[in-house]
Amino acid sequence: MTDSSPATPQAGNVGSSPLEGGGKLTLDSLTEDFLLERSTADGEPDWLRDRRLAAFKNYRDQRWPERKLDEYWRNTPFAQLVDVGLPLVSRGDDITIEAPNALVESLDDPAAATLLDGEVVAVNVPDHLAEQGVLVLPLRQAAHDHADMVRTHLGSLTTTSDGTGADEDRTISVNDAAWDDGVFVHVPAEVEVTTPIGVQVHVTQPGTHLPRVLVVLGRFAKATVYVEHSSPDFERAEGTRRTPVLVDEVVEAIVGDGAALDLVTLNEFGGGVTHLSLQKAQANRDATYRHLSVNTGASTLRLRPEVDLVGAGASTYPTGVYFADEGQHFDLQPYIRHIAPRATSDVLYKGALQGKSRTIFRGNVLVSKEAVGTDTNETNRTLILTDGARADSTPFLEIHCADITAGHGSATGQIDARHLFYLESRGIPRDEALRLIVRGFFSEVLERFDAPGVRDHAMAQIEHEIDIADLDRIGVSDAATVGEDPHAPIASRG
Amino acid sequence: MADLEVRDLTVEVDGKEILSGVTLDLDKGKTLALMGPNGSGKSTLAYAIAGHPAYEITGGTIAYKGQIINDWTPDTRSRSGVFLAMQYPVEVPGVSLTNFLRTAINARRDEDLPIRAFMQELKTQMADLHVDESFLQRSVNEGFSGGEKKRFEILQMAMLEPEIAVLDETDSGLDVDALKVVSEGVNRLQGPDLGVLIITHYTRILRYIRPDEVHVMLDGRIVESGGPELADRLEDHGYEEIAATARA
Repeated sequence: MTDSSPATPQAGNVGSSPLEGGGKLTLDSLTEDFLLERSTADGEPDWLRDRRLAAFKNYRDQRWPERKLDEYWRNTPFAQLVDVGLPLVSRGDDITIEAPNALVESLDDPAAATLLDGEVVAVNVPDHLAEQGVLVLPLRQAAHDHADMVRTHLGSLTTTSDGTGADEDRTISVNDAAWDDGVFVHVPAEVEVTTPIGVQVHVTQPGTHLPRVLVVLGRFAKATVYVEHSSPDFERAEGTRRTPVLVDEVVEAIVGDGAALDLVTLNEFGGGVTHLSLQKAQANRDATYRHLSVNTGASTLRLRPEVDLVGAGASTYPTGVYFADEGQHFDLQPYIRHIAPRATSDVLYKGALQGKSRTIFRGNVLVSKEAVGTDTNETNRTLILTDGARADSTPFLEIHCADITAGHGSATGQIDARHLFYLESRGIPRDEALRLIVRGFFSEVLERFDAPGVRDHAMAQIEHEIDIADLDRIGVSDAATVGEDPHAPIASRG
Repeated sequence: MADLEVRDLTVEVDGKEILSGVTLDLDKGKTLALMGPNGSGKSTLAYAIAGHPAYEITGGTIAYKGQIINDWTPDTRSRSGVFLAMQYPVEVPGVSLTNFLRTAINARRDEDLPIRAFMQELKTQMADLHVDESFLQRSVNEGFSGGEKKRFEILQMAMLEPEIAVLDETDSGLDVDALKVVSEGVNRLQGPDLGVLIITHYTRILRYIRPDEVHVMLDGRIVESGGPELADRLEDHGYEEIAATARA
């Protein structure tokens, strides 16, 4: 058994990043030998090593996304925004910093794990949960201790997916091949965990991070999982949109028959981070999957909240709030696949933009031929607060079955001047009225979620954004005139 | 000098002149009715007094307690004591009714009103105006019927205690029962410290809220003024008679 120092990289691809040096491997220069050596050094089971090598083959045959060729990357120019030459952050690097307190720690004795720069540094499972078989542990360890479960479910949503095929995106293959460590959460059949389970992903070092999370709920299980992302701010070099930190993560969730999973993701990395995230769930028969993303962090965020509705009667509520500030670029692409009949999906995303910022919302829905009785809806509302902000919103529906109900709506605009006038006419000063309106805009979304501490936390994040907003620069829609009621009859008598 | 003085006011909306020289006095303790056919400019006057940004004053003045308020922002006018009950109150999504009212009240106080005192007062007013307590959970005007919206406007008036209140077609869309409740609410607030300008197309509300003076607007101007008997005349003859005289 060799020691766990980073493998010596082979000659070959050298990254283009100015940070690359010292012979560290990058996303672009990954080699089979490196993966083989690391996997062996970590004593990973054979099946896992084989998986990684199979993923590596995909990676090798794929190319990085190109905006002109890859529809889903059209609005997020990969080459401009993502530095694939950043060295992989690996264990053995000097780690002396601790992760800050996660939101989940303010709750009553939660089960939780912290993934810090690719290493699981803290794990806690209270006795009463452990006794019921609830698992929260490093993914690598789980591959040994719970091989059957991990083997069945890990990568099931990225490499093969019922009816939808493998994910062809190289950013996913590279995570399948080279995730360092991750967290495995399991709630056994019929177990209900009332306190949210926390997975904290904290990043402190420049470079490439490949976190992996796998959540498995057995039949009729019930749980809430928070995945919290945090980091300090990192400085971005002048004249480039690329950042010194890249986090390319995959979160998979399997929701068993009749089970209910609420997954809350706080995407709150600091400035100077590019955050690519696939968060994909499989909802089985009569399962309920709710997903809430709170998106305020990172310089560039590309989030794919996806759901495969493979069981009849499943329902999913992908929900999100986002607030993009100066210099931020958010690309949010929910993807709902109605594979089984009588499933329900309702996507609701609301966002606000200020300063020179850009958001893209692309709501993808696929309804397969067998998905009779599908009920699907997607809504996106965006507030443009100041000039220079740009929001794109497009629904994409691919429908192969006629016997369904499908709706979609999107509205992008400024704060309604009538709302503002109404509040001001009651004596509320403009600044305060604007705050009330923006908070009110988001509260509809947050009220959908009953996750302890989340509503307050998200509102605090939003309020913080409003506080640093240049309220004087906020523009409202042209004040609509009031006029007389066009339907009133012309009276000749009183 | 009247508490609210409008002098030769001309107002444009979208570049089109709607008010062509309106002069009106309103004192606290008095109730004025302003009537007129559709398009006469009644609502425009109401919104000009309240300071709505789309209504541009191109001439004349509005003075409140001796100060010209043409350039005052709507919130300043409100905090000084001017209130507008709107004809079509908007829904403000996600802004809770209680939060909205408390913020409005606290905006005009040096120290915040304690929550308990606020809730007590609010619940009393809700009971008086037949607004169900379940509405406390709602956002402003969210899902309110026409009658409920109008009653909520009067409730706000009761909580904010203005000195000059402009009621823009408060009676429109109300059935007799709702009209009675709203009128009783206004009557309860009437007194030496409140001047009320009731803007209405119909004389019906004036049976419940008796005006001291009645003014008739036509084509952006006040063309006739009188006592309550002017309303009776309008009820019998409509606007044609006055219009014929005014336009001759």
